[in-house]
Amino acid sequence: MSKVWAIAKREFMVTVTRKGYLFTLFGLPLLMIGGLLAASLLSRETLRDSQANQEPAGVVDRARVLNFRLQAATSPTGSTNPLPLPGPRVQSRLVAYDDLDKALADLRKGDLSAVFLLEADYLQSGDIVVYAAEKGIFSQLTRTGRRHLSALLRASLTSGRLEEEAVARILTPGRFKEMQVSKQGRIQPEGNLLKRVGRFLGPFIMFFLLTISIFMSSGYLLQGIAEEKQNRVIEILLSSVTPTQLLMGKMMGLGAAGLLQVVFYVVLLVLPASLILTLMTLSPGQILLSLMYVVLGYLLFAGLMAGTGLLGNTSQESQQLSVIWTMTSMIPMFLVASLMQQPHSWLARSLSFFPLTAPVTMLLRLSTDEVPLVDVLVSTAVLILGIFLAVKGASRLFRTASLMYGKRPRLGEIFRWLKEA
Amino acid sequence: MVAPDAIVSVQDVSKNFRSVVAVDRASFEIGSGEIFGLLGPNGAGKTTLIRLILDLIRPDAGTIEIQGQPLTEAGKNRIGYLPEERGLYSRQKVLAVLEYLGTLKGVSRERARGNARDWLRRLEIDDLRNRPVQELSKGNQQKVQFIATVVSDPEILILDEPFTGLDPINVDLLVRSIQELAAEGKTVVLSVHQMSLVESLCRRVFMINRGRQVLYGDLEDIQNRHSEPSFLVRSGADYRTCELIDRFSSRNAETTIYLKQGVEPARFLRWLLESGAEVESFQRARTPLDEIFIRVVRDSS
Repeated sequence: MSKVWAIAKREFMVTVTRKGYLFTLFGLPLLMIGGLLAASLLSRETLRDSQANQEPAGVVDRARVLNFRLQAATSPTGSTNPLPLPGPRVQSRLVAYDDLDKALADLRKGDLSAVFLLEADYLQSGDIVVYAAEKGIFSQLTRTGRRHLSALLRASLTSGRLEEEAVARILTPGRFKEMQVSKQGRIQPEGNLLKRVGRFLGPFIMFFLLTISIFMSSGYLLQGIAEEKQNRVIEILLSSVTPTQLLMGKMMGLGAAGLLQVVFYVVLLVLPASLILTLMTLSPGQILLSLMYVVLGYLLFAGLMAGTGLLGNTSQESQQLSVIWTMTSMIPMFLVASLMQQPHSWLARSLSFFPLTAPVTMLLRLSTDEVPLVDVLVSTAVLILGIFLAVKGASRLFRTASLMYGKRPRLGEIFRWLKEA
Repeated sequence: MVAPDAIVSVQDVSKNFRSVVAVDRASFEIGSGEIFGLLGPNGAGKTTLIRLILDLIRPDAGTIEIQGQPLTEAGKNRIGYLPEERGLYSRQKVLAVLEYLGTLKGVSRERARGNARDWLRRLEIDDLRNRPVQELSKGNQQKVQFIATVVSDPEILILDEPFTGLDPINVDLLVRSIQELAAEGKTVVLSVHQMSLVESLCRRVFMINRGRQVLYGDLEDIQNRHSEPSFLVRSGADYRTCELIDRFSSRNAETTIYLKQGVEPARFLRWLLESGAEVESFQRARTPLDEIFIRVVRDSS
């Protein structure tokens, strides 16, 4: 046991002083939060910019249907405006032109963002031609203009012909007020944007960091073992300790390093977030179960990565091989939208019952909703079985693959080793 | 051919890797406190034998015992192993690596540190103890590797090619260390390619070729068995006139004399003295081990 302890201590110390570990510990959460903030600020800024700087659009109305005086009424900037435009607040104006050529000349000069042409038969055909300067395929410059023109058209066509209230409802069919009904039957209005985003993002960030912890720690195990094989220390180690001792020591040491990471994240991010910002809507049960899946997931991938680390000749080669595990386990990540919307679908449940995808799927489901006890029990059982097989396989490979240098083993050879040792 | 109080006993051990026979019914014993030579050409099965003794791999047949019982964890603690494929944690500091490898042999951290410092001084690299291993020269890394083998003060040392990469001065330093360890009562299993070192260090040897035993036993016996009756003579005599000689060859001042069948060496010595020439030296010629090595390998292949 003292040997296991010595190995665990060394692995822990070597890992927590790695640059990569320290970066993940401090840098990753900062980067994620910073990135989210920057992204939201940036998108708001660009939106505002693109709208504020928008040039007016020209309209050539040969059908004579538009009443430009109604523009003030449809403009969101008008303070007495009873008919706010749907969508973001915009300042784009529409300018009437009689002559298409003059309008196009102004468009070329850059004074106009677009020119709309309503032919005389507009009422019958509904056709509107839009002229816009060449701006590339991502240009959305005519969008606000179009929205404006549509609103003005609706206003012009209905005003005076229908009751004022009906006109108002045509222009703005409804203002939605969202109420949340909790499972306990409590009804409350939706919170502000920060809370709404946080309720989704908080658990998601936690899910993401926990997943990262699993793969970082088991990744270090892979790297460590592959390096020991590459620089041949493994032969000395195995002449002193049994494969099981070596594997246990490593799993303990790196597991402790991973656990430190998780605790750090929980204490520094999740707790403040739930206390101060009330972002965290997860129950203590969900959090505890999540931590259990982190541990189980770590043990499973540690076993798999240890075995994989023994197969390659260099750590790069082993890392390439390990992609099989990481890619499979990341399948739930690709289905994240579907899984979060329907955390109890057959897809979510079957992914929970397959050992490789179980940890990430269960973490994701737990970050979204409570999970039925049956699912927890079955996935835990499946994971424990997986861990048993992975660890057993890895310690068998220590007896065979760890001393094989030279060419990369073929699949048949690996199976033989697993059976043989 | 049982060694007195055998510490390592290998009986009828075989190991196959798929269709390749790595070791084929090898049997030998290593006596307590001796320096035992494990010889053979590249790929003969020496490293496999060593790994079998260390229980790194399991034999397909046969038994291996250390002090009369299969290798236990406590048994592993009593063996120091210098593998042919060298390896240390290259980014870690010398002393830290030695300490760690010592503790894995069940020695306390303090004792491992003390032993490591002793050996670092003995091998004249104590000033490098706080340097990362990768900054050391190849020869010094080799010395550190040797210290890693002895840092837990094991009773049995298994050294697979301990001299590769060392200059003559360091070879000498290591040879003396090995002799000192043997004098302290340690058992040393030595696998080397330099036959001159085997001749000067080992009393008994086991030689393997293509997995099979080709030589085993007392080195002197083996050499005598493989030597023709010949003599190395330094004298001014004119050998052409001697009727007792079958043939002779001279190199520098030394002549190798092969006597005719049935001629007693004493008769030739009498002739030599009676010839009136000054006799500087007269000794029985023993075929050098590397010659026996080459001959045996060629015959058994």
